[in-house]
Amino acid sequence: MRHSVPKRVPYYTRSSLWISLLAIVLILSGCGSSAGTGTESVQAANGGTGGTLTYALATTPDTLDPQRSGWAVSVRVFGNIYDNLVVQDQDGKIKPWLAKSWTTSTDGLSYTFKLRKDVTFHDGTPFNAEAVKFNLDRIINPATKAANALALIQPYQSSNVIDEYTIKVNLSRPSEAFLANLSQSMLGIISPTAAKKYGEQFGQHPVGTGPFEFVSWEDNASIKLKRNDHYAWGPETVDNTKAPQLDGITFSIIPEEATRVGSVQSKQVLAAETVPPQNILGLQNSPDQQLLQTDTPGLPYTLFINQRNAPWNELKARQALQSAIDVGAIVKTLYLGTYKQAWSALTPSILGYDASLENKIQPNVERANQLLDELGWTRGADGIRVKDGKRLVLRYVDSSPNREKRNDIAAMVQQQLKAVGIEVQVNITKDIATVVFQNKAYDLYGNSQVNADPNALSSFYHTPAAGARETLTGYSDPQLDTWLEEGAVTKDSSKREQIYRQIQERISDQALIIPVYIFPYTVVASKSVHGLHFNYLGYPVFNDVTLTGTGG
Amino acid sequence: MKALFGIATVNRRDAANHALQAESQGWKKQKRQQWFSLLLAGLASALVALLIVFALVPQWIAPYSPTAMMTDRILQPPGTANWLGTDYFGRDILSLVIYGTRVSLLIGFSSVLAGVLAGGILGALAGYAGGWTDTIIMRMMDILMTIPGVLLALAIAAALGPGLPNIVLAIAAASIPGYARVMRGGIVGLRTRGYIESARALGASNWHVIRRHILPNAVSPVLVMATIGLGSSILTGAGLSFLGLGTVSEIPDWGALLSQGRGYLTVAWWICTFPGLAITSFVLAVNLIGDELRDRLDPRVGA
Amino acid sequence: MLRLAGIRIISSLLVVLGSLILVFAIFYLLPGDPVLSMIDPTYATAEMIQNLRVQLGLDQPFYIQFWHYLSGILRGDFGVSMLNSEPVLPKILAHFPATLMLTLTSTLIAAVIGVILGVLSAVHRNGWIDVLARIIGLFGISMPTFWSGILLILIFSIQLGWFPAMGSDGWQTLVLPSIALGIVGAGFIIRMVRTSMLEVIHEPFITTLRAKGISERVIMYRHALRNALIPVVTVVGMQLGEMLAGTVVIETVFSRQGIGRILADAIMGRDIPVVQGVVFFTAIVYVLINLIVDLSYAYIDPRIRRST
Repeated sequence: MRHSVPKRVPYYTRSSLWISLLAIVLILSGCGSSAGTGTESVQAANGGTGGTLTYALATTPDTLDPQRSGWAVSVRVFGNIYDNLVVQDQDGKIKPWLAKSWTTSTDGLSYTFKLRKDVTFHDGTPFNAEAVKFNLDRIINPATKAANALALIQPYQSSNVIDEYTIKVNLSRPSEAFLANLSQSMLGIISPTAAKKYGEQFGQHPVGTGPFEFVSWEDNASIKLKRNDHYAWGPETVDNTKAPQLDGITFSIIPEEATRVGSVQSKQVLAAETVPPQNILGLQNSPDQQLLQTDTPGLPYTLFINQRNAPWNELKARQALQSAIDVGAIVKTLYLGTYKQAWSALTPSILGYDASLENKIQPNVERANQLLDELGWTRGADGIRVKDGKRLVLRYVDSSPNREKRNDIAAMVQQQLKAVGIEVQVNITKDIATVVFQNKAYDLYGNSQVNADPNALSSFYHTPAAGARETLTGYSDPQLDTWLEEGAVTKDSSKREQIYRQIQERISDQALIIPVYIFPYTVVASKSVHGLHFNYLGYPVFNDVTLTGTGG
Repeated sequence: MKALFGIATVNRRDAANHALQAESQGWKKQKRQQWFSLLLAGLASALVALLIVFALVPQWIAPYSPTAMMTDRILQPPGTANWLGTDYFGRDILSLVIYGTRVSLLIGFSSVLAGVLAGGILGALAGYAGGWTDTIIMRMMDILMTIPGVLLALAIAAALGPGLPNIVLAIAAASIPGYARVMRGGIVGLRTRGYIESARALGASNWHVIRRHILPNAVSPVLVMATIGLGSSILTGAGLSFLGLGTVSEIPDWGALLSQGRGYLTVAWWICTFPGLAITSFVLAVNLIGDELRDRLDPRVGA
Repeated sequence: MLRLAGIRIISSLLVVLGSLILVFAIFYLLPGDPVLSMIDPTYATAEMIQNLRVQLGLDQPFYIQFWHYLSGILRGDFGVSMLNSEPVLPKILAHFPATLMLTLTSTLIAAVIGVILGVLSAVHRNGWIDVLARIIGLFGISMPTFWSGILLILIFSIQLGWFPAMGSDGWQTLVLPSIALGIVGAGFIIRMVRTSMLEVIHEPFITTLRAKGISERVIMYRHALRNALIPVVTVVGMQLGEMLAGTVVIETVFSRQGIGRILADAIMGRDIPVVQGVVFFTAIVYVLINLIVDLSYAYIDPRIRRST
C-alpha cells in the first residue's frame, strides 16, 4: 500500500516544460474541437421587412403540444401556432374563428359547428371536420396524457362528422362554459398529420393553422417562430386578420429577473414578460421602454383553507383567519401598488363577479382574537394559543421557486397570525404534488387559475365525484354543489350571474378562502414595438405587432 | 490490486498537499514582514469571534427584531433609524444580518463537523488499518469524488428538498471524501516515516499510538481544511438558496437573504449587498485563518 | 506506459459504475412520488397516477429499476424527460459543447489570472504585492457566484453596455459568465502557484543556480516558474470539474444554454431522469478529464510510469 507519488517535485529539463505545455494544449484542443459547434454566430434578420420580435419569457415552456401542456408560459408561445374554433372578445363574448357559425341543440347536449373552408395547416394538411374530430378525440384518449385540455374539454363525449366542413359535438351534460373553453389555446387545433407522425414528440414539432409557424426550439435558449405567409383567417378580435407584419418571433428564456429586465434595457431583446413590481415603477417613466399590463381573469391567487383538520373545520376558526390576515397590507407592501387586491373567489372581469364583496371583510385583530377565545384557544406562555395541551399551529405550504413573491406572502401571513396567537409553520417545497395533493399536509395553500368562465369554480368548490381529484378546501356543501351545477347549465345570463354571485357570497361567508391578488401579466417593451395587445385571458397577441426603427 | 483500483487523483492531490505544506518552510525562512500575515489572521479571527457572538446572542446586539415587518418603512435606504436600511417587508437589514449569522454559522459549523467526523473516521480507519479496508473505503471516496462537490450537494438537496437538516446533510456528504483523503494521507505519512512502528516496538498500546502520534500529526491538516471548509459550506448553501433548495426559516440565513434580495439590486441595493458582504467577509476570514493555521500547525515546521 | 493507461482506464470505468449506482441511489431514496411531478396534480386521479407508475416501472424493486437504468445507459439511453418525454442523452450532448466552451474559457481566465498573480505573489513573498494578490484571490473564492454574476450584468451590460447580459450566441456573451466563473478558479490557482513556486525556490538546484551567479530574475522566471507550473496543470484539471458544477448557477444567471442550465431547470421542475442524467454525465466527463490529466502527468514524470 505504498504511494506511487513523487514526494518531491523533481527538476525537469527544458523539454519537459514543452511537454507539459503540449499536454495542456492537447487537453484544451481535444475538448475544444467539439466545443466549436456549440457557439453560433449572431444571426441576422432573415431579410424580411417586418423584422423579428425578440421576446423574453420568464420560464421555459413544458411542451408545445397544447393538449399536454399545463403551463401558461407555453400558451404564450403556442397561442401563436394554433387557432381555435371560436374566440372570446374583450367583453367575454364568443365570436367565430375556425368555426364560421354554430348551433346548439335545445337540450344543450350537442353543438354543430360550420367550419371555414379556406384553412390549411402549416404542413399543408387541409383543415376540416375530420381534423377537428381527431383533435377532440385525442384529448380524451388516455394515451395522449392530456393535461389541462382534458379538464377544459369536459363534458365532451363524442363528435360526428356531418360533412367535410360540418361537425356535431356531443356532450354528456350541458355546459355553458364549453364554448368559452373551446376558445382557450390549450384546445387549439393541431395538425392530425403531424400529431400522428411525431407521436410523443409532437410537442417539439408543433404544427397548427396559426399566424406563426414553428421553426426551432433550442432548449433553454430560444423558440423561433416565423410568419405563416398563407394566413388569412384571423378572428375579428385582431385588426390584421391576414399574415402578420412580423417576419417572426424569437422567444428567449431568461429566468433571472435582473437579467430579463436588463436585457430589454441593454436592448438585447425588444420585450420581456413578468416584470417584477419593484421594477415596474421605474420602467413606467422610462424614455426608451413602455410598460404593458393586463389583469388575468379567472380565479385570483387565493389561499385555500384546508378544513379536513381541526380546528379549521370550524367556521369561527376560519373566520379568525379571515380577520387576522391583512391582505391589503400584504398586497401593498409586496407589490407596491402594481397588483390589485382580490376580494372574491373570481376576478372582476369574469361573468357574475360579485363586487359587493369588495372591502367587505376588513382586517380586525380584536375580532380574530375574540373568535379564537370563544373556541377555547387560550394564549400560552410564548403567546401561541393552546387548547387541551395542543398548540394552535397552521401549516402553510407554498411552492418553490418564489413565483410572484408568493413565498413572501407566506412570510407576512406568518407574522400576522403570530400576532393573534397562531404559530405558522411555513413549508416551501418543490414537491407540491406530494405534500398538498397526495398527503394533504397543509392548512393553507395558495393557488390561482386563468379562466374565462365562472364555471371554473366547479373544480375548486364542487364536491368531487368518487375517484375524482379532491378539492383543496376539502369542503363539501350540498347548497354550493346545487348552485354550481345550475350555473353550468343556465342559459339566461342575468340568472347565471345571480347564481354565481350567490356562490361567491357563500364561499366568503363560509370562510373557505382568503383571496389575495389579481395577477397582472406585465410586459416591458422597447418603444419601437407597436400593436402588442392581450387577449381576453391576458395572453399576448402578435398579429398586429409592427416594429419601427430597428430593422429586426 | 492497488494499482488496479487506484485512481491517480490521489497522487496529484497529495502532490498538491505536499506543495502546500512545503510553503511554510519558505515562510520560516522569511521572517521579514511576517507580522503582516499575522495581523491579517488576527483581524480575521476577531471578525469570526464577533460573528460567533452575533450568532450566540443576537438579541443583545440587534436594534430590532428580525421578524418585525415595519410595513410603513419598506425599502428605506441606510439611514439613522435603520443603519443598513430596510427590506421589502420593512425589516431592518442590520438586525437580519445579525440574526442571520446564527443559521449561517450553523450551516457552516454543523456541515463541517459532520463532514470531518465522517470523513475523518473513514480516512483514519483506511490509513491505520490498510489492506482491504483501505482499498474499499478509498475506492468509495473516489466514487464520491467523481461528482464535483457542489453538484453532489445539489443532487442530494434536490432529492431531499429544502430545509436546514437536508442542506447540512448535502453539504457534509459532499465534503466527506476530501477529509477522508487528507486524514488518510496524514496517517499513511506517519506510518511510512516509521513513527508508529517505533512506538509500537517500544511497547506502546494502540490507543497510546493514536493519541500521542497519530492525532496530533494527522489532525492538523484536517483542521486547516475544515477551517476553510466553513467558508465553502456557506457558499454552497448560498448557491442552493439561489436554486430554490436553501433553508426556509422565519429568520433567514445570509444565503437566503442574498438570494431573495437579488431582484431588488437595481432599486434597493442595500438589501442583498450587506448579507453578501457578510458572506464574503466570513469566507475571507476563515480562509486567512486557515492559511495561518497551516503554517503554524504543520508538523514538519513544529518538529 | 500502455499497461498504465490500460489500468487507469479500467479503474476509471469501475469508478464511473460506482458513481452511477450512487446517482441512482440518491434519487431512488427520494421522498415523494416522482410520478406526481409528471402529471398535473390538479387533474390527475389516483388511477391515472397508478397507471403511470406501472408504465414507468416505478413499482419494481430497486435492483430491477437499477438494472433497467444501467442497461439503458449501456445502450446510450439515459431515459426520457418527465416533463416532455424528450430523450435525455441527446439533450445533454446537444448542450454540452456550450458548457464545455464556457468551462474552458473560464479555466483559461482562471489560469491566466492565477498564474500571473501567483507568481508575483511568490516572487515578492510577504511584500505588499503578495498580500494584495492573495487578498484578490481570496475575494474570488469568497463571493457567491450568482451575486458576482448579477453585479457583472448590472455594471457591464446595463450600465456600460459593453457586453450582452444573456444568451449563448457569439463570443461576446461568453465574456461576463467566464469572468464570473473564472475568478473563483483563479483564487485557487493563485494559492497553488504561489505554494508551488515557493517550494521550487527552495530546491537545491535553485541554490546552485544562484551560486553560479545567474540573475534572480532569470532564475525565477526561467527556471523556477517552469518547474512550479507542472503541479499547477493538475490543479487546473481538477478545477475543470468544479467549473462544470459552477455552470449550474452561472448559466442560469446569464440565461446561457448548457447542461448546467438543464440541471437547474430539471431541479426546478423535479425532472428526475434529467437530473440523474446530467449529474452522471458530469461524473463521466470529470473522470475523463482526470484520466487525461493523469496520463499526461504520468507521461511527463517517469517515476509515476515506473511505479505502477
